[in-house]
Amino acid sequence: MKKNLFSIPALAIALATTVVSCKKDSTTTSTGNIPASHPITSDTISGFVKGTLLSGKTYYITGDVTVKPGDTLSAQSGANVVVSDGHQVLVQGTLYLVGTQSNPVVFNSKSGKSDTLNGWDGFICDSAQSVNIQWTKIINAGGPDASGSPTKSIEVKAPIPVTITDSWIVNGQDDQLALQNGAKLTILRNTIQSSGSNDGEAINIKSGCTGVVAYNVIYNQAGSGIKMETSTTAGIAQTKIDVFNNTIVSIGWRRGLAEPGRAISVDKNAVANIYNNIFANNYQDLEVFTGADTINTKYGNNLFFASQATFGTADTSGSGKVNITLASNFYPGDGVGKKQASDLVGVDPLFVSFDNQFLHPNGYANNNNFNLSASSPAKGKGNTTFTLLNAGIATPNTDLGAYPTDGSGNKH
Amino acid sequence: MYLTHINIFSKVKIISAFTTLLILIVFQSIGIGQTITLKGKTVSTKSKQPIEGVLIKLSTKQNGKTLTTVSDIKGEYNFKNISVGEYKLKTKCIGYNEYEKHIELKGSETQTIEIVLTEIVTNLEDVSVFSKLNQESDRASRLNEKNATNIINVVSAKAMERSPDINAANVLQRISGVTLQKSSSADEAYAIIRGLEPRYNNTLINGVKITSPDDKARYVSLDIIPSDLLQKIEISKTLLPEMEGDAIGGTVNLIMKEAPDSLLLKATGSIGYPQIFFDRKFTTFSKSDIQKKSYFESHGSGAVASGTDFSRSNLDFKEVNAPVTCTAGITFGSRFLKNKLGIIIADNYQNQYFGSNSPYNQINPNPTTSVPEIDEAHNRTFSTQQLNNGLSTNMDYIINDKNKIVVTNVLLYSFLAQARVDIDTAYVGGNGGRTVPGTGPVTNDHTSITNFEWLENLKISGKHILNKHFYLDWAGVYSSSTRKSPDRADLSINSKIDSIHSTNNINGPYTFRQTPWYFDGITRSWQHNEDKDYNGIINLTYKLKVNENPWEIKVGGLYRQKDRANHQDDYNLKPSPNADGSKPFFTNIYTARWYVFNPSGSGNYNPNNYTAHENIIAGYAQIKIMLHRLDIFGGLRIENTDEGFNINVPSLTQINSDAIVYTDLLPSVLLKYKIDSRNNLRVSYFKSLARPNYYELVPYGIPSQTSTTSQTGNPYLKHTIADNFDIRYEFFPKDEDELLVGMFYKKLQNPIENVLLISGRFSDYVQPQNAGGDATVIGGELAYTKFYGKFGLSGNYTYIYSNVKTPKNYVDPLNNLNNGIKMQNRPLQGQTDNTLNVSLLYRNTKKSLFVQLAYQYLGKELTDAYPYYGADFYRSPQSYLSLSAEKGITKHFIAFGKFNNLLNSKTTNSINGLPYIGDTFLPNYSIGARFNL
Repeated sequence: MKKNLFSIPALAIALATTVVSCKKDSTTTSTGNIPASHPITSDTISGFVKGTLLSGKTYYITGDVTVKPGDTLSAQSGANVVVSDGHQVLVQGTLYLVGTQSNPVVFNSKSGKSDTLNGWDGFICDSAQSVNIQWTKIINAGGPDASGSPTKSIEVKAPIPVTITDSWIVNGQDDQLALQNGAKLTILRNTIQSSGSNDGEAINIKSGCTGVVAYNVIYNQAGSGIKMETSTTAGIAQTKIDVFNNTIVSIGWRRGLAEPGRAISVDKNAVANIYNNIFANNYQDLEVFTGADTINTKYGNNLFFASQATFGTADTSGSGKVNITLASNFYPGDGVGKKQASDLVGVDPLFVSFDNQFLHPNGYANNNNFNLSASSPAKGKGNTTFTLLNAGIATPNTDLGAYPTDGSGNKH
Repeated sequence: MYLTHINIFSKVKIISAFTTLLILIVFQSIGIGQTITLKGKTVSTKSKQPIEGVLIKLSTKQNGKTLTTVSDIKGEYNFKNISVGEYKLKTKCIGYNEYEKHIELKGSETQTIEIVLTEIVTNLEDVSVFSKLNQESDRASRLNEKNATNIINVVSAKAMERSPDINAANVLQRISGVTLQKSSSADEAYAIIRGLEPRYNNTLINGVKITSPDDKARYVSLDIIPSDLLQKIEISKTLLPEMEGDAIGGTVNLIMKEAPDSLLLKATGSIGYPQIFFDRKFTTFSKSDIQKKSYFESHGSGAVASGTDFSRSNLDFKEVNAPVTCTAGITFGSRFLKNKLGIIIADNYQNQYFGSNSPYNQINPNPTTSVPEIDEAHNRTFSTQQLNNGLSTNMDYIINDKNKIVVTNVLLYSFLAQARVDIDTAYVGGNGGRTVPGTGPVTNDHTSITNFEWLENLKISGKHILNKHFYLDWAGVYSSSTRKSPDRADLSINSKIDSIHSTNNINGPYTFRQTPWYFDGITRSWQHNEDKDYNGIINLTYKLKVNENPWEIKVGGLYRQKDRANHQDDYNLKPSPNADGSKPFFTNIYTARWYVFNPSGSGNYNPNNYTAHENIIAGYAQIKIMLHRLDIFGGLRIENTDEGFNINVPSLTQINSDAIVYTDLLPSVLLKYKIDSRNNLRVSYFKSLARPNYYELVPYGIPSQTSTTSQTGNPYLKHTIADNFDIRYEFFPKDEDELLVGMFYKKLQNPIENVLLISGRFSDYVQPQNAGGDATVIGGELAYTKFYGKFGLSGNYTYIYSNVKTPKNYVDPLNNLNNGIKMQNRPLQGQTDNTLNVSLLYRNTKKSLFVQLAYQYLGKELTDAYPYYGADFYRSPQSYLSLSAEKGITKHFIAFGKFNNLLNSKTTNSINGLPYIGDTFLPNYSIGARFNL
């Protein structure tokens, strides 16, 4: 997204100051800068780590690192972290990465790539105490784990608060956000894109998580955009998510037609509100499976668009092409989701710019601008009155998609 | 004759068993001088039944030489080419009085003398430490059972030979109180004794624990042990302090053949074919390109594998006609150096082709109601080749009347090649389910597996009579097991079938539409493990007589050092996307394009890379007091265990090793009341333990090969301790007849059960845990053998009740709300309630004809525990029928046939009426011939 990163500098500075100052209350200032809590001074990091990654500094993580229970790893805006390929950040304490719009925190792989041989192994926050990630770029995670499988960019399996806002999660190899076991989610205004060679969801939510997923842009993902279910073996807590005002484009194709990727799916006893989202050129869009809590799952006011009537892929010899009738995949036939009267079906959302493509490779850059043009039919069609399952985290907008025209949405 | 030969050979060093043998055969056929033949029969006084295995000595004063022979199956003996004159005919046979007769042989015709032996009632040990009874006979088994201090069941070599069974596993399941735990692929078999899972039992070869070729567990799959190598199998259901204490269900002791008293040569061969491959083809793959070592291991750390480093031909599956199954065996034994040195060498080769059709439904709780429901249906077929070769060597050297050294070596080799085809269709699930039958996502998995296993057990032992009172015996044992599974390869392709409805009605008319088959990836795995034991054992016995009754005090100890290491390296080959990023279609393995997702392998932190140790120091003291009718036996064993594992982990905060040390005091009291010479009543108590499997302590998850549920270990797992009470009445009317009636009660503290974890960090994991409460096992056993002339009836029946209280999640059926944990009573995993074995035997010694019809009934068994209250997985009752027959064709040749699973019994496993696993093996036929010198 080519946008002016300095659009709200004042806010960013204020935010940064708040972050730094709230580390330690102080009544006297002497010579200027307040020292960061446990500033991390060494350029290279491995083994155990705690303290603050400093603004403007580049760090090299050269081995697997662990944040112990009770410890905090925080990052000031502009901290730049280069992780050697194949290494992970295991968080058992608190992860607190707070960048700014103008000066985000960056975690990238050393090779700058994520594919065979490359990619770092992401944040393993299975047993973390809390996760707070704002204005942070998490790029090229997904390298192989101990058994050779791709890792998730961020993985949480604990009933802890998880806040991921205004961040970029780009070019992983498997699920980007894998969130399970009752995590309390605030997933707002992120860009999640171009991950997975032939599998992986953008946001995979399971077993009893609750919270809001809103104002995110999800683009060119191998598998599904937002997948919600309660684990088959869990059976205790229901997954309850409000999913609104997301823009989900060109996803679900790389996994092949045999394993459809869906913009949003609700399965296995999960319950969700799904409103005000824009879907364009996805393999399948809104799927409510028979196994979902179909009584309490509500949806409507979503925009479904395909830039052409059919699309298909062929093998390298050009044979075996199967053309998919895209309109029949807005609500796929194997689910029980049905077109709602409030939906905008087959309507071009009129993005500021869109290449009208369906399929791109893993890691492909997003050259589109999904802001709504002046004449977009997505304006003013939003539902702001549905009852949120999780109140008090974010509110829906009268415009559809991640970029409502009042500027309250995605800032990327 | 014999002596001459032996003298010759005592001078010549033993060149090779087979050369010796050939020369012997040649020599034997040359007659010398004016000779006659003495022959006859040995029979028992009571039943007039022939007695096999009586050692008969014919000595003459003329030259002081002694000829020996042993009576055969029909009780017959003969001495050929002996010169006329005066002789002393003497016999020795345990369980019978000695027989001695002065005879004069004259004339030129064959003379016949019937030797009638009287049964005696004495303890085996009291006769002599070195005297021999033909341990391979049924009668020896009965005597063993009768005279043993503890409660045992014995199967003789003869019984195994005549049974429909070809390996130790099959034999075991015919023993009272024993069932088998089998896998769907039928390539693993472990003993369940008295309803207790393999973990509660131990397996010994010649009395000493053997190492396991399994990558995680401590047990040995008994189907790799050919029954032809065995002299007998002893199942001890009560333990003595001198026995290792880690058996709660019981101990399986596989006793290999011992050197015979006279020349022995046996050869056997058979061919067979399973019905299943008359009905369907055998799936096979090429083994020629399989690389023995992973890229990481052959090229060193840091080496980077590329797609071309992985072979394709072992994923090229072909449907062929299955080759014929064959077995062959040869046994040679004799005594040399004036009978001081005895040698027996037995080799048995089995090359079998078998298969099963095993549909499997993945069952998961309904997320709302938690009632089990089918998520996926798997159509699985297994095609297996298993090649076993067992070589057993036993040498004993009798230094003198008081000292004897025995060297035994058992080498078992097993090769397994298996093709698995698994086609699964999802009914529900994250990838969409079925709308109408015939629709849904379909995954087609082809797996090729090759396993090489070696198991060696070398034992050197000695027995010494130090003086009238003191006996010393010792043993040093080296045991090692290795398994190599190079390049276990799994190819996955997928497709999806949708229904296209022409109306809005889901029940209305529709057509099917299927997507192309996509190449979904390949996994390759190289695994090998090694398990090594060094054992030292020493026992000192003090024997004394109190009021003419033999008493015995015994002390001894054992030290064992075990080390094992497991290495696994996994590679993930992902399909190379097409230029536009799309997923490639699959046409065949040779055109599939892939890249190596983890080119450095997974050697570093693979949770399957572990080393484990288990060192045991044990000591005991026991006393045996014999009163007029009562034997009192008691003692105490102390076992100190030091076990643990080491593993590499990416973070120092993760558990990377475990060291568990504990000491158990294991008392044991056994009373045997001899009502009369044929009736015993036994009462016993003993304490025993069961240790966790090595890998069960490692706290990291491993994806299961067969289901979506992964497994994880538990470093805090405690070992199980059990109090065991037994009572048994025994009646041995005569010869092979017996009646055994027993009851037992066991209380297990910290039983280990596999529990599906519901919440917490590992939400989808099965973990071994100590069940909340104690488990109890109560059972009754009945074993009966009776011969009516030519017909015999042999059978046993076992009833077992077990109960363990386990915490389960309870979902209220009224409102579907989870109401926390509720304790549920259920049987132990792996326990069968009713087990019945009945064999009808027909034996006509005159016509050398034996026929055995064996029937087995297994009641229902809890195979897996379900995590929610009110339901578990049970295997349905099943019946098996097998037939075996043998007929003597000539004096030396016996033809036989073995026909198994004639009822085509299917294994059905279900929960709440939903089918879970069904295995169809179909009948199996084989015929063959045996040669006996």
